[in-house]
Amino acid sequence: MKCLLVASESVDLLFYWTDREFEQNLQEQYGVTHEEGHKPPAFEDRISTQFAPIIISCSSMIDKIDDCYTSFTTENNHIYVLHQFDECLYIAVNGDGDEKDEDLRRKIYVMKKLMEVHFGVVTLSSTHLRKELRPQDTDQRNRLWKKLQGLLGTYNQLREQDQSFLVEAVERLIHPTLCEQCIEFLERRLVHQINNSVERAGEEVLHAFILVHTKLLAFYSSRNASTLTSSDLLALILMVQNRYPSSELEDQLSEHEENTLVPEVFYTPEPSPTSGASGASSGEESQTPIFQFVDPDIQMAEDSLHTLEVPPPDPANPSRVFLEATIKEGFCPMMPHNMYSLQLWPGITLVLLTKIPNSQVAISVYYFLDTLASLEKRLSEGVEGSSAPRSPLPLHDLRSKMDKFIRALSVSDAQLVSQLQSTWAEFKHKAFSRGGPGVSKELLPCCRNMKMQLCGLFRQCFVLKSTENLQRLAPSLQERSLALVQEKLVDWKDFLLVKNRTAGQMIAPSFNVTDHSTSELGKGPLAHFIKSKVWSLVGTARHYMQKGYSTATFRDGDYYFCYFLWFENETGYKLDVIDLPLLPDDSAPIGMLAWDYYRKLLRYYSKYHNGEVVKCYELLTMHLGVIPSDYVLQHCCQLARKLWEPSRIPLL
Amino acid sequence: MAEAATPDPRWCCYFFLYDGSKVKEEGDPTSAGICYFYPTETAADQQDLLCGQLAGVCRCVSELSCSPVRLLRLRRRKFAVCTRGDFLWALGCAVDIPDISIHGFLEQLIGLFCFYNGPVRESYQLRSKEELAAQWGKYLSHLQGGATELHHIFSSLRTIDSTHIDPLLLLKAALILQACQRCPLVLAGCILYCGRVVSTQMPPDLTAKVLVHETEAYSQDLANGVTPTESNVTSIPVFLTPSELHALRCPPVDWACRSHCLPLQANHTKKSRLSREHYDPCFSPSPSLSVFGDAPFSQDHSGSCDQVLANGTLQPSMQERSGAQEQDEEILGAPLPAPPLKGENGEDCESHDNGHQGGGGDSDGSKRQDGCGEQGQPANEEPGNQTGPQGPRQRSDEEQLEKIDRQEPNDNKGGSEEDGGRKGEEMGRNTEHRLSGTGVRGVCSEESQNNERIQGGKTPPYTPALGALPPPLVAMALYQHRVRGLVLALLVEPNFQSDAAAMEEVHYSSLASLNGLEAHLRSTTAGTPGPPGGYTFAHHDCLQNTLTSENPVRPLACVTMRVSSRLTVTCAAAAVSRVACALRRPRALTSALTSLIAAAARVSARSQPVWGAGGPLERSFVRATSLLHSHFSQAVTLQEAIVRNAGSAVYGTRSTAQETYFLQQGATVRNSGVPNPQDSAFSLPSKARHRLLKHGVNLL
Repeated sequence: MKCLLVASESVDLLFYWTDREFEQNLQEQYGVTHEEGHKPPAFEDRISTQFAPIIISCSSMIDKIDDCYTSFTTENNHIYVLHQFDECLYIAVNGDGDEKDEDLRRKIYVMKKLMEVHFGVVTLSSTHLRKELRPQDTDQRNRLWKKLQGLLGTYNQLREQDQSFLVEAVERLIHPTLCEQCIEFLERRLVHQINNSVERAGEEVLHAFILVHTKLLAFYSSRNASTLTSSDLLALILMVQNRYPSSELEDQLSEHEENTLVPEVFYTPEPSPTSGASGASSGEESQTPIFQFVDPDIQMAEDSLHTLEVPPPDPANPSRVFLEATIKEGFCPMMPHNMYSLQLWPGITLVLLTKIPNSQVAISVYYFLDTLASLEKRLSEGVEGSSAPRSPLPLHDLRSKMDKFIRALSVSDAQLVSQLQSTWAEFKHKAFSRGGPGVSKELLPCCRNMKMQLCGLFRQCFVLKSTENLQRLAPSLQERSLALVQEKLVDWKDFLLVKNRTAGQMIAPSFNVTDHSTSELGKGPLAHFIKSKVWSLVGTARHYMQKGYSTATFRDGDYYFCYFLWFENETGYKLDVIDLPLLPDDSAPIGMLAWDYYRKLLRYYSKYHNGEVVKCYELLTMHLGVIPSDYVLQHCCQLARKLWEPSRIPLL
Repeated sequence: MAEAATPDPRWCCYFFLYDGSKVKEEGDPTSAGICYFYPTETAADQQDLLCGQLAGVCRCVSELSCSPVRLLRLRRRKFAVCTRGDFLWALGCAVDIPDISIHGFLEQLIGLFCFYNGPVRESYQLRSKEELAAQWGKYLSHLQGGATELHHIFSSLRTIDSTHIDPLLLLKAALILQACQRCPLVLAGCILYCGRVVSTQMPPDLTAKVLVHETEAYSQDLANGVTPTESNVTSIPVFLTPSELHALRCPPVDWACRSHCLPLQANHTKKSRLSREHYDPCFSPSPSLSVFGDAPFSQDHSGSCDQVLANGTLQPSMQERSGAQEQDEEILGAPLPAPPLKGENGEDCESHDNGHQGGGGDSDGSKRQDGCGEQGQPANEEPGNQTGPQGPRQRSDEEQLEKIDRQEPNDNKGGSEEDGGRKGEEMGRNTEHRLSGTGVRGVCSEESQNNERIQGGKTPPYTPALGALPPPLVAMALYQHRVRGLVLALLVEPNFQSDAAAMEEVHYSSLASLNGLEAHLRSTTAGTPGPPGGYTFAHHDCLQNTLTSENPVRPLACVTMRVSSRLTVTCAAAAVSRVACALRRPRALTSALTSLIAAAARVSARSQPVWGAGGPLERSFVRATSLLHSHFSQAVTLQEAIVRNAGSAVYGTRSTAQETYFLQQGATVRNSGVPNPQDSAFSLPSKARHRLLKHGVNLL
């Protein structure tokens, strides 16, 4: 029994995802309490009615005592985890005992990450995010929610079944010769060809990579591209997996949730707005509406049958994704890109990430938002009386840059531009004119208003536009590229799909246990048991790490588990341990997908090792409990020495 | 906030009892539902906010999940929640206290209230909110009086320090209890000294309940600077749950049987690990428990105890006793005026007897004896059996393990049926006068009426969300005989109070022994702590609910009021908070305490505290212990763990009977965290095994 929903403070349901069991449970309750009702209301309305008291109570707690709920546990071990991001409250529920608080919290953060990848800077303004997540048009809303539901469903599956999503690390296929060849091929042939073609319509390929299921075979970034973060890369893999589910995953999906899924629907490409629809759908990676409603009432209510009639989208349409980028023009954590995912063969996918024209606007918008946010912070702390030697507010810099930015702005929506101009004029009037209040708290509303306008501008430029006057690599160019890579890899295809020994940023025997795959651990109940042990070990290790422990061993039943975390410098010298930061229970989960803990950890550690490149390693082992712990430790020690050697192939 | 003004480190930040039946209509103010709120000085609107929001949100979640909320977390604190009928209790504390501990505290708190006051609904019908608020306040301050931070994790019983006491004294205490138990109206007892347990025949949770009253009385005396010279006897009504009563009435032969089932049960229900069912001192693996388990221990197979019994000095009197008792009971079928009762509960006790038809006591007594006979128990009337070589008997028990195991369900069933009947009778008596004829299941039916009212005739699918109904309570009495700092506390049948002969007998048979024991205990000086061993440990006995730690809990400097360590400082502070709660104490008390606190503060400023706001190592130890305890409580199969951060490594191990945590000081050398067999952290298990042996902790 699972559910995840996002609601605004005004109890607008912004998104929900439920499994079949939760849905049934809610319907039963609704049936009882609203017997006299003539027609059952839409499921969307039921769920928001049921959760409304919690949502309202949450906001009154924040208002009155500045504290808010983080979780509830019931006596039958249902767990509700709540987290508030700005004005959006996320609630994740589990009633079947297979997820803990931490797992639910992680799911919430992953959901937030997916929204950031989809909506970029728009997520910074709850007003615009609300509009984006809850379009007035029912069809449009259904499409969007189904797309997000699909992604969340895929995440659930990957998290349960794929080791790389368990530990949230990018897994690479290790075959040095092939990897090298592929990287060279991507660089010299593919990217070169596309970027020199006239058909690229102003786009420029920045990154190209080949995925075998969820594993990375080769990755190439062009020289002027920013580094793609692991967090973003994992999110993209998730999206690709959602679009082209691995056969293993598919089988499991249909087996596991055959009640939830109508198999025909599963393969039906998700309708997406073509020309004319002023859709919020920012891309095309939504071909798998995993969570179809099977209750005919609901389908009618939601009008989803109608939706299914819409013709499938053009597969050559890219998805708009927002990824972190640090380039010479500046930094933007949510820089617009187009993502083309081209399936070479089932299970093997080529992904291209392109820079879109006009994307420097995003950098400026983010710079202004950031500056305004810090100004807001300073103002609300009280800037007037502070005698502290603080850096002067970068107001004049802001002024000149903003003036220049607005002058140069060429956006089709004239109303938007004029609104931005008038808001900016008001800001300037208050801040800089002699008669105005100057730089004081009275500037705060102006700051907020400016921020909202900028988010609106961003939305106009990169989120709404992506579905309208679509600009993209010409389909013929995409086809040629696909053929090129297919030709290159055709001899390796079967090898790649069978040879499943994996390594990379994570080195581990394969634990992806399914009935159809033979893993190194075999299959059947024992393999599943061991898999569940490994999965729970990772959770436990993360929990102790969150509380500051970098080494932990457990004797649990017939097994002995070890967890080690250590730091090395570039030459492989083992550095001293430090006290890890202690995180509160409701902090972001330790991992990479939603919140790159390890990057922050390295930054934290680097404070103690100035000027040195620090690397962080983790080792998790599971031994039989009868083995004397001395031998276990010796073995761990050997593993730590040996395992990292093959991973020295350059990744990015 | 007022919180800052009180001196003790309160881990409980909020506690409230909310009665949802008082707030049904739209217009009903939330405050009408608040039965009790702690801290009492909290502003009314804040009280309304917390109660209203928490109760509302709990109800909503319960409806969604068809189950009551158990734990509610906020960013800065968390609440254990308990829902029974319309009542909702919530206990809020800091987030770093393990879930299992905070639940234990809440259950303990509710248990304490019901033990001393009876069912909650009736208590609030019969008595004023203010009066009951004082009771809640008393229990809260008692629970918060834990001497160390470890007590926030394990709410263990406070015991006297057995390491500095002549074992013969413990034996003597056990014998006194045994002697008292020969009166059929006496269920079980315990001996307390200066608010600490010397010997008990009761399961730990019941002992803990009895201890509250005594600690309260003792600390009042302590605070007043009064040393009661005269011995005095009091008796108050108390209320037992059916399972507690069943356990007490169960003949001792079941102890052996139950113990055989122990590991099995403990595996199945880790939550009830501390419950009565698993209490068996005899089979507790840790020798350190001897302080505690003496009474049952000696009954079953303590050799030394048997020798005392075997000389027959005690037996004849007992035999006479049972005969005489029966006669007395026949005569005393009609109630006699109860002995002067302490406090406000007088009318309650009297009324039990009003409902008590002639001959009730008789039937109780005889049934009990019959029960013993049926079970083949070496019954009271057979000195030969009882004093026979207990060791062999126990062995034969083991030989007949299977047989007993097979028989056990029948035996238990028989027992419970009989008990059930008696319970019904008791309860009928108990509830009759209170609810004027609501019937035998008075408490229960009243609650269910409430439920029906709430549900308005509809049958929502979430009935369980309204919480399990409290089991009907059975009225008993707590007899206390005080000799200065020493107290003999006995749980007795209610009609014991009306049985002058029985009371006299119990009183005079134990008086001399109590005096002697008190004199010996008083002359025992608190031992000086051994040289620091360079390590820190905590050993929790889950069955006895006792805690042994590196800084052994020494007896309170009760007579001399010597402030000698951080420990005493905390106790003094706890006493003050009680005063703050009660607010009705004479001024003299306040001034006495003020000087005590000043002295304590001076001492604590000079000395390096071992616990509490101790050094980083100690804090680190407590934190790891808390985390591991929490993990142990969740993972049934987890046996041991080593966790290490940069500064320290802690080893934790547990079995069904015990949990032990160990930290070696100064052992953390520079390390990189990379797996290394030479790492000192991994030698912790063997170090713990060796070092703790001398503390009586056997980890082998």
